[in-house]
Amino acid sequence: MERSEFQKLWEAFEIIAIGCVLFGILLVLYLIRGLLTPFIIAFIITFFLSPVVDYMEREGINRTLAVILLILLTLIFLFILWKLTWPILQTEITDFRENAPFYVSKIRGSLEQAMKLLEKKAGFIPEGTMQKAIQQKISDLITAVGNVDFLFKTVRYFLFTFILTQLIVFFFLKDGRRIRKGFIAYVPNKYFETFLNLIHEIDKQISNYIRGQLTDAFFVGVLTIIGLSLFGISYAIFIGVVAGIANIVPYIGPLLVLAFGGLLVLIDSGSIINMLKAMGILAFVKLLDSAAIAPLAVGKRVNVHPLMVIIVISVGGLLHGIWGMLLSVPLYCSMRVSLRILYRGFVEYGNW
Amino acid sequence: MSNRNKLNGILKKIRGKEGNIIPVLRKIPIFEELTFRDLKKIELIVHERTFMPDEVIFYERQPGTGMYFVKKGLIRLTKTLDGERVRSAELAEGEFIGEMSLLEEYPRSAQATAVVKTEVLGVFRPDLLDLINRHPRLGSKILMEFSKRLANRLRRTTEMKVEEVELDGKK
Repeated sequence: MERSEFQKLWEAFEIIAIGCVLFGILLVLYLIRGLLTPFIIAFIITFFLSPVVDYMEREGINRTLAVILLILLTLIFLFILWKLTWPILQTEITDFRENAPFYVSKIRGSLEQAMKLLEKKAGFIPEGTMQKAIQQKISDLITAVGNVDFLFKTVRYFLFTFILTQLIVFFFLKDGRRIRKGFIAYVPNKYFETFLNLIHEIDKQISNYIRGQLTDAFFVGVLTIIGLSLFGISYAIFIGVVAGIANIVPYIGPLLVLAFGGLLVLIDSGSIINMLKAMGILAFVKLLDSAAIAPLAVGKRVNVHPLMVIIVISVGGLLHGIWGMLLSVPLYCSMRVSLRILYRGFVEYGNW
Repeated sequence: MSNRNKLNGILKKIRGKEGNIIPVLRKIPIFEELTFRDLKKIELIVHERTFMPDEVIFYERQPGTGMYFVKKGLIRLTKTLDGERVRSAELAEGEFIGEMSLLEEYPRSAQATAVVKTEVLGVFRPDLLDLINRHPRLGSKILMEFSKRLANRLRRTTEMKVEEVELDGKK
């Protein structure tokens, strides 16, 4: 059957229309980006919890009931965790904030000395410029940390986000498949099968990644806390929590934690031995993690070259800060698998 | 008697409406033995699609990921033989195609085109695997039906082969 001119035109129009719709969706997402945080968090929690709900459903529990039970259990677990760790974490954080000016002045002192030396060696920098810049940056930092109003706002925003997130998680877990089917219903016939496969593959990639990384982060955090506490190093929980979260960002996160933890312990205790101990523990935990925990938790780890991971994370961090760094790898994997499926669907089988 | 009617009415309300998909699903042999509750679960993974006259449903050699069931309308199957399009079959209301690609991704053996405005129901492998994973009991029922159909087909092919061999022998 020959395609008429009209049909060709119509097809071109169709592709342009799809492009416009996608662009519109992206634009709207960009405009409401402030509201996206609870949705992104809810997405991540949903990916993490959905296997549990699936398991409960498999055991014969009604899905809605399973979701309610699970969310209640999670809330109780979080509450207990909060009650157990918050007092210690709080003292550690207050300690840190009280001592921060002291640490800062220490760092500033050594930085300024280094800069003076640098300025002397490199004659073209006017004396005192870098010193002033450092002083400005550091005093900005102190005001930001010490600002009570800012803290209050954060707490209020956090509460709002938390409640909204819980609601979104509830509906995502309960009706996720129905929502997805509703979306798929609007895909044109021609792209329908390809799109369906695409969604399932992306779902698999992202959920594997998130589940693995969160489990991994949890173990790394706990092991770090145990290790540091055993050696009697201060700020054990604080460093442990940071290590757990940072572990989600491959390669770069653990390195930053190593530097951050070492520096914090060094400044606090003033002894190089303690710093070496802390860094040793952090390195050991990471080693243990890469050798034993990560392969189990992440399982079929998304197979991406380390160099690519570093590039992707850097780009993510450059574009969107911490969120960018956390989400860049799963996004990259989804894009990769999408391209593969589209290539197979459109090029190899001529379904264009 | 009226009490019984009332009871039936209440039961119907609890079970929910049948909608327009479940009666169609009942006609598919693989789902024949399933209960209303099971069919409700299947309904969630069924995609309703409408194709215009001459619109292609799938191309020959395209990787098949699921089956289509004709709810209303007519589908024409064509095959390429020696570079020429040959009509191979037509599917009317109540017939279905592609149930084997539910089990394994395999290139479609023919091209399916809608002859008139056609409504189809589609069930696809990723959804089905997900369903089997969540409801193993329902999954084993469906897979059992599949195996029966496969066994039947295999037996028929074997019988045909045996006949051929016997005929050859007589010659």
